[in-house]
Amino acid sequence: MNQPFTSRRWLLPALFTSAWLQLAAAATPTLGPLYADPAHADLSGLWLVSGGFYFAPDRSVPKLLGEYKTTYARRTEAFNKGIAIDDLTADCLPAGMPHLLTVPYPFELMQTPGRVTFLYEYDSVVRRVPTDGSAVKPDPDKATYHGNSWGHWEGDTLVVETVNVRPDTQLDFTGIPHSDALHITERWHRKDAKTLENTITLTDPTAFAEPFTTTRTYQLKPKWKIAEYVCEENNRNARDEQGHTSGGAPARK
Amino acid sequence: MKHLKRFALLALVPLLAQAHHSFAIYDSAHQMTIEGTVKEFQWTNPHVWIHVMVKNDQGTEEEWNVECTSVNFLERRGWSKHTFKAGDKVSITLSPLRDGSKGGSFRTVNRINGAVPKFEAED
Repeated sequence: MNQPFTSRRWLLPALFTSAWLQLAAAATPTLGPLYADPAHADLSGLWLVSGGFYFAPDRSVPKLLGEYKTTYARRTEAFNKGIAIDDLTADCLPAGMPHLLTVPYPFELMQTPGRVTFLYEYDSVVRRVPTDGSAVKPDPDKATYHGNSWGHWEGDTLVVETVNVRPDTQLDFTGIPHSDALHITERWHRKDAKTLENTITLTDPTAFAEPFTTTRTYQLKPKWKIAEYVCEENNRNARDEQGHTSGGAPARK
Repeated sequence: MKHLKRFALLALVPLLAQAHHSFAIYDSAHQMTIEGTVKEFQWTNPHVWIHVMVKNDQGTEEEWNVECTSVNFLERRGWSKHTFKAGDKVSITLSPLRDGSKGGSFRTVNRINGAVPKFEAED
């Protein structure tokens, strides 16, 4: 007759095995999200933008008003002649927001209770987005390259708001301008296991006739690591006396 | 299962050099190929640079500055600080500077010392 599994003969070894398995489970990190916040959808991971260098993949541009329309026309005219003007990034200054959302470098999205953190390879920028109910009052006197962000969750979607962005940054490398009244809304959700989708809406009553919306996607890069990126190491594109981006003639000393 | 490695032939993968500044300075619609000898390879950010000595129609050597993307970008495509060295005979396709200076935005490397280079891309 077979011994039942729960007989005393099996009890002690079974208890030992169970304790050992628990220890082993504790000692071996579980594969999965590195920085997930269990209370919310998992958006964490290392992501790379798809869809090219233009702010909107279809190359559409916000309907610009007045002096902003003139500024963009001036930049476009120079661009078409092979001259880049007003380009802060040529001097290794930050791309700023929302340009940062489309630079062709990966970022790590880290979720912790009450906060989402974006760790960018490009210029080693960090965006800290509190999701604890705090918000930021618009104040042009406090404008910075990346502005101030805060967020909240709507179901599986992370909504990030950003204000207080410096007006000398551009939406992309073609030089689309904005004012210090810019308000950026990002709506992030996981489209599938390997894709994040971000629907970006820009509202800027001073520079844009109407809100502008575009959608960007980001591909998961599970094998990649964020690497160092120091723009000042050997920048040969700094703006010349006319404010034009240099073609890199002077070699590194 | 054997891990499949993806080999990217750089000649088939057009790369935009521009990554930290406006790309207006290059004539992206056109490409040209230069052949010459590497004088210097700068494996640096924000851009990697290849200096190539190229003989002009008069037989005089001229220095061309080829601007590539970043260390970060190229390392993931299998490049390293040893991809080029001074003295290498190279054939490189670029989009030229629009102001006519001897330089351009890197597109592809066709040959290094007579061989078609292979680079292992990172997934």
